Parts: sequence; C-alpha cells; structure tokens
Amino acid sequence: MTLSRIWVGCLTLIACLGFLTGCWDRTEMDDLALVMASGLDLSEDGRVEITLQIALPTGIPSALQSGGKAAKPVLVVSAKGKDSIDALDRLQQQLSRRINLGHRGIIVVGEKYARRGFDQVLDTLLRSPESRYNSYIVTAYGTTAKKILEAPYLMEIIPSIGINKLQYSDFSLSVKTDKFIDALASFGKSPVTGAIKIMKQGAGQQTYIIDKAAVYKRNKLVGFLSGKELKAFRLVAGRSRDMKLTTQMEPPKKEYKGTVTIRLLKATPKIRTEIKNGNPEVSVSLNALGSILSNDTSMDMSKVIPLVEKKFAADLQEEITKTISHTQKKFKSDIFGFGNRIHIEHPYAWKKMKEDWDELYPKASVQVKTVMVLERVGRTQAPAHQQKK
Amino acid sequence: MKRNKGFPEQLNQQLKDYEHTIAEELSDKLADNETALRQAFANCSDLVVRKLHAFGSIPCMAVYLDVLVDDTMWESGFLGPLLNLELKDPDNPARMTEQIRTEMASVAKPVMTPSLKETVQLIVRGEVVLFLESSKQALSFSIKDQLQRPMEEPSTEAVIRGPRIGFIEKLHINMALVRHRIRTPLLKMEKITVGAVSRTEMTVVYLENKAPQNVVEEVKQRLATIDMDSILESGYIEELISDHPSSPFPVMQTTQRPDSVSASLIEGKVALLVDGSPIALIMPVTLWYGLQTVEDYYMNFIFATLLRWLRFLFAFLALTLPSAYVAITTFHQEMIPTSLALSLAAAREIVPFPAMVETLIMEITFEALREAGVRLPRPVGQTISIVGALVIGQASVQAGIISAPIIIIVSLTGIASFLIPHPGMSQAISILRFPMVLCAGTFGLYGVGAAMIAILIHLTNLNSFGVPYLSPLAPLSPSGLLDVFIRAPWKVMHKRQKHIQQKLELEKK
Repeated sequence: MTLSRIWVGCLTLIACLGFLTGCWDRTEMDDLALVMASGLDLSEDGRVEITLQIALPTGIPSALQSGGKAAKPVLVVSAKGKDSIDALDRLQQQLSRRINLGHRGIIVVGEKYARRGFDQVLDTLLRSPESRYNSYIVTAYGTTAKKILEAPYLMEIIPSIGINKLQYSDFSLSVKTDKFIDALASFGKSPVTGAIKIMKQGAGQQTYIIDKAAVYKRNKLVGFLSGKELKAFRLVAGRSRDMKLTTQMEPPKKEYKGTVTIRLLKATPKIRTEIKNGNPEVSVSLNALGSILSNDTSMDMSKVIPLVEKKFAADLQEEITKTISHTQKKFKSDIFGFGNRIHIEHPYAWKKMKEDWDELYPKASVQVKTVMVLERVGRTQAPAHQQKK
Repeated sequence: MKRNKGFPEQLNQQLKDYEHTIAEELSDKLADNETALRQAFANCSDLVVRKLHAFGSIPCMAVYLDVLVDDTMWESGFLGPLLNLELKDPDNPARMTEQIRTEMASVAKPVMTPSLKETVQLIVRGEVVLFLESSKQALSFSIKDQLQRPMEEPSTEAVIRGPRIGFIEKLHINMALVRHRIRTPLLKMEKITVGAVSRTEMTVVYLENKAPQNVVEEVKQRLATIDMDSILESGYIEELISDHPSSPFPVMQTTQRPDSVSASLIEGKVALLVDGSPIALIMPVTLWYGLQTVEDYYMNFIFATLLRWLRFLFAFLALTLPSAYVAITTFHQEMIPTSLALSLAAAREIVPFPAMVETLIMEITFEALREAGVRLPRPVGQTISIVGALVIGQASVQAGIISAPIIIIVSLTGIASFLIPHPGMSQAISILRFPMVLCAGTFGLYGVGAAMIAILIHLTNLNSFGVPYLSPLAPLSPSGLLDVFIRAPWKVMHKRQKHIQQKLELEKK
C-alpha cells in the first residue's frame, strides 16, 4: 500500500504547514488604509509633500449603522519627505493600518510642484504592485494638491470619488496615468492633464471644477488651455464626446443675441504629415457632424443650414489654428502628438529629428481644414417666440 | 481482485462452519427431517412445524417461519387445496409428491427440491416447505406475506411535472415498475444474490441491443467479486463496485424514480435494483448527470436549457463562492470595486476573526444545521430554522462576531448546493468546498486556481465503467453535447440517436 503511505505523508506535510503561520501574507480588509486619492506638493523648503485621502469605512453610512452620529468619511493626512518613499514612510508612522494604493483613483499634482517638474516621485508612487495605471492624474491650478484633497465635497460621501466621476464623465479633459506616462516617455508628444481647482459656492459650500487642461513640456508644467482652446485641443485629440459649440451668426439685436449652438455628434480628426526639404509639414483635417441645439437668431434654421455649416467650419478652423500656434509659440510643447504621427509616417526622417523635436515643432507649418455637416435642425417648427403672427 | 473483504472475518467462518453441519440430503423419514430442521432453527421462536395428513392418510409436515407467511393465503391457498387432494397412486411416494406439485400449481408456485440445505434457505426466504413421509423430495410453496408500504412520491426527487410514483423496498415491485414502462422482451432482468448472511437479491436490468455488452459483463463480474456478509442498502453496492470508491464524485447515479431508471435504460445504461432498498443504481454516468433531472425532459426544452445553465452556474458558485470571497478580501483587495470594498471593510470593522476562519466557522455551522434538519423529528424541525435564522444569522452579525457579507455568502452557497439535483454530486461539492477555502486563505486566488486545476485533473482521470467521466466534453464528441449544456428538442435528439444507431450497424457490417 505505497499509495496510502504517500497520502499520509502528504497530509502530514500539509498539517505541518498549518503551524508555520509566520509567512502568511494575508491582510484583512479592516487592516488596510484604503487610499482614495493622493496628492503631490512642493513644500516651502523644497521637499516633497505627499497628501493621502484615506476612506474611513465606518464613516460610510450603511443599513447596519443607521442613526447615530455620522462619522467623518475620509481622513486626510500629509507628510513631507526628501523623496516620496521617505514621505510615505512618515505617513505610515501616523497610520494604524497599512497604506493600500489599490483603490486610488486620483493623483493630484500641485501647480508649484508641477512647474518645478516631476522627478522620481511619480515612479515610486506607481511602482507598488497594487498601484493602478488607470487612475486619473489632474493638476491643481492656483492651489495645492493638499487643499484640493482637504476640501469637502457634498455631492459624494468621499470627495475623491467626486473628482473621479467628474473625470470619468470626460466633460472637460481626463487623462489616466498610463497615458500621461506614455506621453512623458515619448519624444513626439507632450503630456497634458485636466486642471482642477476649488470653487466657492455660497456660504461654506464648495465644488470642484475641471475646466482647463494643464500643458506640460517634458516634465514641467508650462501653462493651461481653457475655454475655446481647450475645445479645439479636444477636437484635434479626438476627445470631443458630448461637446457643444456656439457661434455668432448675426450681430446681437434687441430681441436676439444672434447665436446658434450645436451639439457635436461625431468629430473625426485626421493628422497627416509630410517632410518637405527636411522640414515637417502637418495638415490637420476635421470632419464634424452636429445637430442644432439652440437658435437665438431671427433665421429659420431649416433654410440656412449650409450657411450655418460654413460658419461653424470657419470658426473651428480659426480656433484650431490659433490653438496650435499658441502651443507652438508660447508653450513650445507638442501636446497634439504631431511628432508621433511623423514617427509613424516617416520613421527614417523621424530618427534624425526626434532629438531636436522640441526646437523643430514651433517652426513646423500647420494647415487646418474643417468640414461641418449639420444633420438635424433639432426642431421642425420655428421657436415659440418667432411664431407670433 | 482484492476489492473488498467482509469485515468480521470470524463471523463469516463461523457461518460457513454452521452451514457445514446441515446435512446435504433429505431423509425419507419425516421424523429425521424434523429433527434436522429443528436443530437448524434452534431458538427460532417463529418456526412452525405443522403435522398434517395429505390425501386423508399420508403423514406429512409443513414447515415455515410464521412471521413471513401470509395467514389468509396459508389457509385458502395452501391448506384447503392440499387437504382436498385425492390420492391417485398410493404406492409410489415420489409420484405423490409429483401429484401435489402439478395439482396445486394453480394456487401457489411449488418448487421441488431434494436438498436439506436448500429447504433451509427456502424457509428463511418465507416459503412453506412440505415434507411427505417416505419421500426424499420436499415441496416449497411461495405464499409470502408481502410486507410492503404503499408506493409514494419520492420525497427526495420531487417533480412538478412527471409521474408521482417511486420505488419501494420490495425488489419485485420495483422490477414491475420498470417493466410497466418498457414493454419489450429485450428488457433483461438478471437476478444475483450477494451477501453471505443477508443473501440480498438484486437484479441487473438492461436493454439488450442498447446496453454495451462489455458494461453488462463488467457489472456482473464486479457483483460476483463482492465478498460481504450483508448488503442492507444499494449504497453498499455503490461503494463496493465503484471504479473510484475514494473519489468524492459519484460514478453511479442513484434514483428513486422508475421513470428515471427507464430513461437511462433506453439510453443504453445498466440499472441495478437491490432488494430492501428503494434506491436504484444507474451506471455508467458522467459528471453532467449530477446536474440533470428527469423533469428536464418533460418540460419545455428552452426552459429546461435555462434551468441547466442555472444549475451549472450555481454548482460553480457552490464550489467557489466562499473561497473566492476569502481569497479576494484577504489577498486581492484591489480587485473589488471601490464602493463594494468600502462596504465590505465597514462590515468587517469589528469582526475579531480573519475572513478565512470566519468563513470556515459559518460553513461548518451551515453543514451542522443542514444535518440537524435531516435528523430532527418533524415537530422539532421548526426550532432549527428559528435557531439557524435568528440566533446564528442575525444575532451573530449584530453582536459583531460574524460579518454580514459572510452570512450572505454562506446562505447563497447553501442555496446553490441545494440546486444540485443529485445528492451525491452535492455532497462531492460540499466536501471540496472546505479544502478550497483553506487554499484560498493560504494562497489567495492562486490557491483557488490550483485547487480548481487539481479537481479538473481528478475529473479527467475518473472513469465510470469504462466511460470517461467528462465525456462527451472530454473526449469531445460534439453531437453528445446536445444533451449536456442544453436540452435539445426531442426531435433533434431522436434523429441523433438514430444516426448513431445506423453508424454502429454499419461498423458491424
């Protein structure tokens, strides 16, 4: 009966394992400090300050704990250190539970820190195995990451989930860490992130607003795009979901403001590059499809669609050209990824120019073509105030 | 094959010695026979020896066990006709016996025997044995008292649609129930007696031309090798002739339903009916039988298919849900959606035990509750549900000893294990659930994966009477899958069966 002997042997070994509890690497849910968001700042003395927003499970209302005093849902802690490891170590000394980055959805970078430039901090923050590459990265403008993370947000129990949802809806610009790092690591593209700040709304209430894009050059923040420039950037980057555009069709009158607003249904950007006499030439074309959302003019939209289409196309062309030249002249930062297109279309030429792309990009000539097609008038009858007889 | 041994070796020997003392031949002296039988049945208070006079003058005696014989049959079916016989050939005792045998054939089933040993066996089986003076032959009459309960709906295999009749403890009734459904002489029923002391009768049932001859032979051969004192239930046989007695998975199907047995016979399987047990065994089976019911074939095939998917899903949950919970909450917290992670963390906040210990405690408690529910007398049964639901469920969560998610997991697992129609399969999954939790608690999802692979390897190694346990999936036969993951419409399945039949016949030629 050798088989049964083998079985007995195996069982004895397994039974012995039960007593060797020393290397059991389990961690219970209630031994973890679930980090929801982390922030990076530059302190006055030039050290790194890391802020963590940690969810407190007991503060989350549930059916079991109905009634009673509501506890705080999050704990915000920060510590300064020579580098991020040092700061995280100091943070761990304050916390009775182990820092777990598995649920971090947001990384906020303070403006001061971003302007000085990223160092290895981002690397160490992402090196831990639980760290996610699909967490969003945002830049705080006019404020520090610490202030953003300390601010209460009434709409969600955990404030950083509010930021997460704002980013997820992609209403302005959302960039995940992997894309950011990808751009940071490539010659032909500069990183951008959404830019966040706190907005005061009446007495004691505040919300976040992400209405700008932070433009980086290499690892340093160089400026922000906002308003129409942000829209132009999103159009060329193909990130124009649910975008609304407004144009002035007529000069404002007494009754009418003279504006028409459309909703973009689809926008297909196309970037082509050419090398002429060793100089890169970029042509950007945009085919957009939209439907009319509001009409505040005296015109009957069903009759003047071609006119409106042309106006929008012209507007878009102007905006996009302006925005591109802005990034060329002011930021000298290729956030559109033209360099990457050259890399794909002219790999041999790119090999020669990739080291100098930062200097070449501002000089590159860019042609912009736009076509706008309005698919629906949105309403068959004239607006109510125009129906007067 | 040294498959099994009668456990009390000594008893077996004693029995053989005892049987040895019984003389082989019958004596032609009535008194000698009586002494021999009284000696054989010493201290048996239910032995009756009735001295009679057949044909008015010939002394004879009827010997039987009082408790096994039907009183009314004894009087009207045996005693009356016997005493009314008229002697035809008074000089030849052998002819007298023959006359009784032929003339009383209408009222009972007489069997003639010259052996004392056999008469002892016949008496034990409940027959009346008649000895005539100066005859070396004994006659046995079967007027057994049919100790039987009415045939009821099997409580363990209830159906919404389908026959309401179930097997009982009488072999010949069970055989009749099968015969009633398959009316052809091709339905073969071979009787085999197993067990040195209990002498349990059982029938191997199969359809000739449908059941593979080698499987029938294998079953008979394995039954012949059984060396046991007693077979009191078909469970003995299941364990003794199983290909893999130490595997948790059943390689035979058990059922209490004659329609289930008939369906299997028509599919070409072999059934075994055991006297004294209402549970029939069906072999060979595959893993998938554990997740099918007869009712699948009675109802709408679309709904039956959906039900099968539901069973597959819940069988999987019954096996993996507790271990997946333990693995994910103690090793892979980043896998849980954030909001769920927060509520799980909140629920675990004041719980003193690690998730694995917690799960084991609750799983063991659940198994205990289930077992208590089976054994408890019906009037006390409600207590268990109250104690189980209120005390263990609610109070332990409120007291902060057990976290609420565990209660959900364990009850879901419990429901899932009850969804598996075959009790053997359900037990197999219950057995494997605990090592799975241990693997999950020590190695995380890696452990769960390793355990699953180990189970899969084990399943592919299993065989049921030569049929691979995972067939028709592994080895793959696509047409067989019509009745595994789906229940194909009857027309389709019938066409397929005909096709297979034709193919087989072609191969024979």
